[in-house]
Amino acid sequence: MTERILKSLDITNFRSIRGHIHAPLDAKVVLLHGENGAGKTSVLSAIELALTGKVQSLERADPGYEKQLLYRSATEGSVILQTLCGTQEEGYQAVLTADGAQSIHALDKELATFFRERAFLPQSLLGQLLQIYQDAGSDAASPLAQFVGKLLGLDRLDALEAGLKPLVDVRNVRKSVDGWLAAENEKSRVEALLSDHRKNHDALDGEVKLAIDELVRICASLELPIKVAEDNLEDVAAALADSADADAFAHLSDQQRRLAAIRREIDSAQVATGENPGVAAIGADEASKRYALWEAEFGERFATARQRAEGLLVDVSLPSDPSQFADEALERLRSEQKQLGDRVSQARSDIERHTKAQDERDVANRQRETIDEEVGRLSASAGSLASTLAELTSFIDGEVCPVCDRDFDEVEGGTLSEHVHGKVRILSASAERLLTLGRTRSEAQVTIERLDREIEAIGSRKLTDEAIADLDRRLSAAGSVIAELEGLLDALREGTNLRAADVAARRAVTDAQSRHVSLAASRETLSAFAISIDADAIAEGETFHAAASRLEQMLAASAERLEGRLALRRRGNDHLAVARSAIARREQAKTRISADAAAWQRAEDALGRAQLLRDQGIAIRNAVDKVRSGIIRREFNERLNLLWRDLFVRLAPGEPFVPAFRIPAASTQKLQPKLITQHRDGGEAGGTPGAMLSAGNLNTAALTLFTALHLSVPKELPWLILDDPVQSMDDVHIAHFAALLRTLSKEHGRQIMIAVHDRQLFEYLKLELSPAFQDDSLLTLELSRGPRRDSVCVARRFSFKEETALRAAA
Amino acid sequence: MSASPILLAIQARLRIAGYSDLSTPFKLAGVDFAFTAAMRGRDGRALDLVLLVDTTTGDFGDRDGARVRQRIEALSRALDVTGSRYVVTVILAGAVLSDGVEALSETCRVLQVEAVSLDAEGKPVDEAAERQLDDRIRVLLPLKLPVASAEPETGVGPALDQLVRALPADTSKALVDAALAAAEGGEQAVTDAVALIITQSFQPEGEEEPS
Repeated sequence: MTERILKSLDITNFRSIRGHIHAPLDAKVVLLHGENGAGKTSVLSAIELALTGKVQSLERADPGYEKQLLYRSATEGSVILQTLCGTQEEGYQAVLTADGAQSIHALDKELATFFRERAFLPQSLLGQLLQIYQDAGSDAASPLAQFVGKLLGLDRLDALEAGLKPLVDVRNVRKSVDGWLAAENEKSRVEALLSDHRKNHDALDGEVKLAIDELVRICASLELPIKVAEDNLEDVAAALADSADADAFAHLSDQQRRLAAIRREIDSAQVATGENPGVAAIGADEASKRYALWEAEFGERFATARQRAEGLLVDVSLPSDPSQFADEALERLRSEQKQLGDRVSQARSDIERHTKAQDERDVANRQRETIDEEVGRLSASAGSLASTLAELTSFIDGEVCPVCDRDFDEVEGGTLSEHVHGKVRILSASAERLLTLGRTRSEAQVTIERLDREIEAIGSRKLTDEAIADLDRRLSAAGSVIAELEGLLDALREGTNLRAADVAARRAVTDAQSRHVSLAASRETLSAFAISIDADAIAEGETFHAAASRLEQMLAASAERLEGRLALRRRGNDHLAVARSAIARREQAKTRISADAAAWQRAEDALGRAQLLRDQGIAIRNAVDKVRSGIIRREFNERLNLLWRDLFVRLAPGEPFVPAFRIPAASTQKLQPKLITQHRDGGEAGGTPGAMLSAGNLNTAALTLFTALHLSVPKELPWLILDDPVQSMDDVHIAHFAALLRTLSKEHGRQIMIAVHDRQLFEYLKLELSPAFQDDSLLTLELSRGPRRDSVCVARRFSFKEETALRAAA
Repeated sequence: MSASPILLAIQARLRIAGYSDLSTPFKLAGVDFAFTAAMRGRDGRALDLVLLVDTTTGDFGDRDGARVRQRIEALSRALDVTGSRYVVTVILAGAVLSDGVEALSETCRVLQVEAVSLDAEGKPVDEAAERQLDDRIRVLLPLKLPVASAEPETGVGPALDQLVRALPADTSKALVDAALAAAEGGEQAVTDAVALIITQSFQPEGEEEPS
């Protein structure tokens, strides 16, 4: 079988590699040398990137490492790895941009995993290996567990295992799954409701049964030809509601009432007939006779008086009773008489006054006319002229008039001064008179007006002479009627009494007659009634009382029976109502039960689904456990221990203690590989490697563990790529390590690629790993770079040369 | 020449491992080198030159650390001079030499074989003794890889793939996917993811789940 080998590597601007380098890799051993920082690790990382699409050690250190992959100042780069399988070449490639790496073609997943886990030992992993030994401990968080976990992909399994653990305990499930507790509560709530409803339903069912039983009994008592069951309650109701009994009872009650009425009639008739019916009739005849006599005696006078009174009192209706008529007519006639008298005397005084007032008015008119006449004579300006003349007198000197300059002497009589004074006197008197006249005139005027009004008022109410005569006639008529009535008064009183007695007597007679008839009729009625109620007719000689009692008892018995039946029917109806309501409530309960049952089913289903998922989660966890245990058992088995021991002893032949994994025996607990040391010659030292081994031997242990893990499985990829693995080894160990590498390379067909930074070690390994046979090959790669130039990779190929130095001594 | 039993035992073991005896003394770069015994490998180990030193009874100054060193250093120099690529391994059989062995390891690989229980014919008395002997010279012996047991098919591949294969067929795919996807985020992420899936299952069936 031809194995796949690494053929060549082209790197452009990857990490610390500046520019482009080409490195041939097609040799059994490839030694990579470079000073610190020359890019050894970058070359090895480039191989990993090309093969797997990522750089795991960097990823662990920094999840965003992809952005750092491109050389710092470059814009693009690439990593191309060629492998050779027989004659078939295959290329793996990843391109780099500032954003990260993009894998163009990589190994498939399983091979990539193998490469990462088993073929490539980056320094970080080695460092971790070393830490494992220094940090003793066997719990899940120990470095060993972490290393093993990461190496074998167990960390995810661990996460799954721990993450799924809450599913095992339902209390934790409630805590972590939000809906769980709610669903459980809902379910139990609905369950409680359901059981309540069911209980209720059963109780109602019992109630219905009880009511139906009762109904059956009642129907039997009533002799109703009906089968009582839950589904024909309507018919039962109809049967119970049948009104025959009620009608019969009503009829009976009616009959009882009628009987009672008949009895009342009979009783009253009997009571009435108990007195002497003849007396009333005799009294009646007497009264009638007397009244007739009175009528004959006073009837005409009374009628005449009445007629006259009514003629006078036209608008009054008078009672017919003579006595009352007389009283009322007298009263009214007297008031009429007084009124008429008043009116007549008033009319007469009016007539007189009218005449007198007219006379007075005439006088007053004349007086006024006289005053007016006198006023007309007097000058209205007499007063002012008098005062003017009085002032003028002071200017009169002599006889010459100061006004007209005439000489008064020319005129006969007195002097001018006297003349003027006399004039003034006359004028002043006139003025005074005028005032008095004015006053008197106004008085006269008032009088005239008053009289005018009076005359007018009297004129308006003044009766004509005919009217006054009529009034006089009526007055005298009234007086005569009054006199007549007063004369008749006693007779009228008696008439009234007689008439009342007559009426009472007539009424008594009528009553007695009617009673006698009804008693006979009552007997007939009672007899007919008895026949109508299917009883014997009233026998001759049977008293009313006995017959009525007999009938009454019969009716009462009937009534009692019917009442019993009706009570039964009522009770039947009550039970029917009870049964119906119970059935209705039972239906409701059923509805609720079905609704709640549906809700319960939903909750149950949801819980079931969730439970299924939970079970599956637990199943996953169990599978995780199983797979994990399987992996651990497969990896950390006796084979591994043997191999590891072999390798470790090769490198550290002087070390009496060898590290080993303790293989847990039990599969029940979570399998954790545990590191121990064993004495090489048997027996367990018991200490952890960190406690038992020197630093160098710890490094050896780590390195050999990795190698053992690589060798313990079929070599899917025959590559062993080690990044500076000998950091704290002494020369002895390095020599042994070199021998081991040689063994692996030359006996086990591994293509070894190893990076070292130590020049001496490089030279030594170059010697130790020299081609030992014809097809053996060794490549050395020397990396270097300067601050201002691209990285350079110088490759040298060594091939087999027959060793001729050694000659057996002759 | 009577060799000590332990030397014989080592030689016998190395012969089984494919080494062949070299006659001593042998000449290198014109110089004779005399050792109690010398062997060389073949094929992949063709460049292995094994020198045996009997520190108990050996000749040629084997019992004196300083003289052993001198001889070996001389040989080493001679190999350097001839440009040879032989890799020298010195086996010190018997008692530990008091001095010089540490210095010797700078020039070659040094193995010490101390008291191993041997029978009269120079063979290890039992398996333990045989293993003790092997352990001492193991670096020279071929590496025997344990035969990979016939693991069932399910035992290989990445852990998560194995897990998926190990699950019951009817396991909810959504659950598995969610759990596996969350596994990278750690324990809590798994718990949360699974809890979410279960919580979603409480939604009535057929209802569109809000995405």
